[in-house]
Amino acid sequence: MKNNAGWWYGGVLTLLCITILVALMAGTTWISLGQLGRIVGAPASRDFTTVFSLRVPRILSSLICGGSLAVAGALFQAVFRNPIADPSILGISSAADFFKLGGAMLVPWLPGRSWVMAILGGLVALMILTNGKALSNPYRLIIVGVALDATFVGLQQLLSGGATQVSQSTFNAMTWADTTILLILGVLGLFVALILAPWANYLKLPDDALRNVGIPVSVLRWSLLLLATYLATSVTAIVGVIPFVGIVVPNVARRIVGHDYQTLLPFSMLVGAWLMLAADTLGRTVIVPSEISAATMMAVIGGPFVIILLQRGRVLHGMSTH
Amino acid sequence: MECQHISYQYPQQATGLVDLSGLFPEGQVTTIIGPNGAGKSTLLNVLARRLLPQQGTVLVAGKDSRALSERQFAQQVALVTQQHELFDELTVREVVATGRLPYHGLLSQVPPAEVAPYLEANGLADLADDLIQNLSGGQQQRVWLAAALAQEPRVLLLDEPTTYLDVHYQQALMAQLRDLAARGMTVIQVLHDINQAFRVSDWLWLLQDGRLVKCGTPTELRTAPLLAQTFKTAVEIVEVPKLGPYIVQLPE
Repeated sequence: MKNNAGWWYGGVLTLLCITILVALMAGTTWISLGQLGRIVGAPASRDFTTVFSLRVPRILSSLICGGSLAVAGALFQAVFRNPIADPSILGISSAADFFKLGGAMLVPWLPGRSWVMAILGGLVALMILTNGKALSNPYRLIIVGVALDATFVGLQQLLSGGATQVSQSTFNAMTWADTTILLILGVLGLFVALILAPWANYLKLPDDALRNVGIPVSVLRWSLLLLATYLATSVTAIVGVIPFVGIVVPNVARRIVGHDYQTLLPFSMLVGAWLMLAADTLGRTVIVPSEISAATMMAVIGGPFVIILLQRGRVLHGMSTH
Repeated sequence: MECQHISYQYPQQATGLVDLSGLFPEGQVTTIIGPNGAGKSTLLNVLARRLLPQQGTVLVAGKDSRALSERQFAQQVALVTQQHELFDELTVREVVATGRLPYHGLLSQVPPAEVAPYLEANGLADLADDLIQNLSGGQQQRVWLAAALAQEPRVLLLDEPTTYLDVHYQQALMAQLRDLAARGMTVIQVLHDINQAFRVSDWLWLLQDGRLVKCGTPTELRTAPLLAQTFKTAVEIVEVPKLGPYIVQLPE
């Protein structure tokens, strides 16, 4: 942990609070700070409905999705020992999205269908990634992941009649029911991730060195993979595919707080939550009354980031040290 | 540590181990020597349980090593290999702390106070917060040795431990291994430098084509015909002042 990490935590928390406040105020109807204070005591007002039925669930959903995707990305990077591993780039999110859509058509009666099918899709993608030579080389892993992603996006578009998935992935019209499910799934997953953070640190060592000290490497690897898949696909199940959060956030966080996953995971969670909320708030305020989805915002931010990351750093030969 | 009729065959390869039996005396430095392809590293990997022999048993403190859990085995046997590939930044302290993992739960933390003695004992206290990636080969070797010693093993296995070390560090390492043996640890190493092996060892295993040619003390094995036959080259043993007997390879 870097010496000034405490300041960075404080900075991100402050930024998060300010962004939450702005997100509560901004939108088609601007609500000032004073009005915000007044409507708390007036539950029958139209502004109260705007804030507590529309904006609060949207804010909470953004926060939990951002945190979940950032932590999922960091975990995938630890397990695959590849700093650009991410649920969207590896095809896990798009597989989850395709299975979710397929589930709606084939098993509409299934309880918790979206989540079950999304998890199933994520696991199918994970099996394809880990069963073969994809893991033998970091480039091969990413190429297989990109091919998987393209395949599942194509299949998803076939089923949905050509609609693109990214544009549909939005926090618009998030209900309290959706938000509650996301909160339960997300908080549970993030809590487990923070407990298992030391395992991600162990995986910096080669398997042989870990076996020498009696560490069951496969147990660690699969536990973290399943957890990361759970976090990423839970977001896909409720919101859809949001790209690049899992690459951008952990890589920025590594430069700020260092490479210790016990610091990196909580910090990534906070930065991911902030980034997603900022992207969503910006997306719904820049072209009022219309809006740009958080997924589109992230694609615009994340794409160039990955290009810069690959062109500047020694990223595919172990985690970048720059 | 003891081998009982160990045989190991690599898939589709001729070289392996054939019916090896013998002791690695407790509290002594044993060095496994032999020409390339003799099976030295294979034997070390079998002793470290990295390779499971098709036949035979490895006994650790009188028990079949396969009967021990991974954690129990790691409390008994530590292995220092040549350079490790690391996948992310790790400090010296973090690497040495991994040696204490066999004594802790998977989710519990290794207290820094538990790591400090091993950093001190191996001259790493000042480097504790440095990244291992930034250290020289010799310093990295010391870090991995410190991590292995943090396991508090009865048996320490080392594969070519002098490879990345200059002469000064080689001598320091050999002195350290002798000191560990004097304190009761069983030290088993693979060395290519045959003279160094004879100089630092209490006991030697001489391998050829996966078979044990002979094991014994340096005095018992230091015979020109035996070494010439095993290494397939003419050798002579000369007396060097202040050094003692020295094995010299003669030109063909």
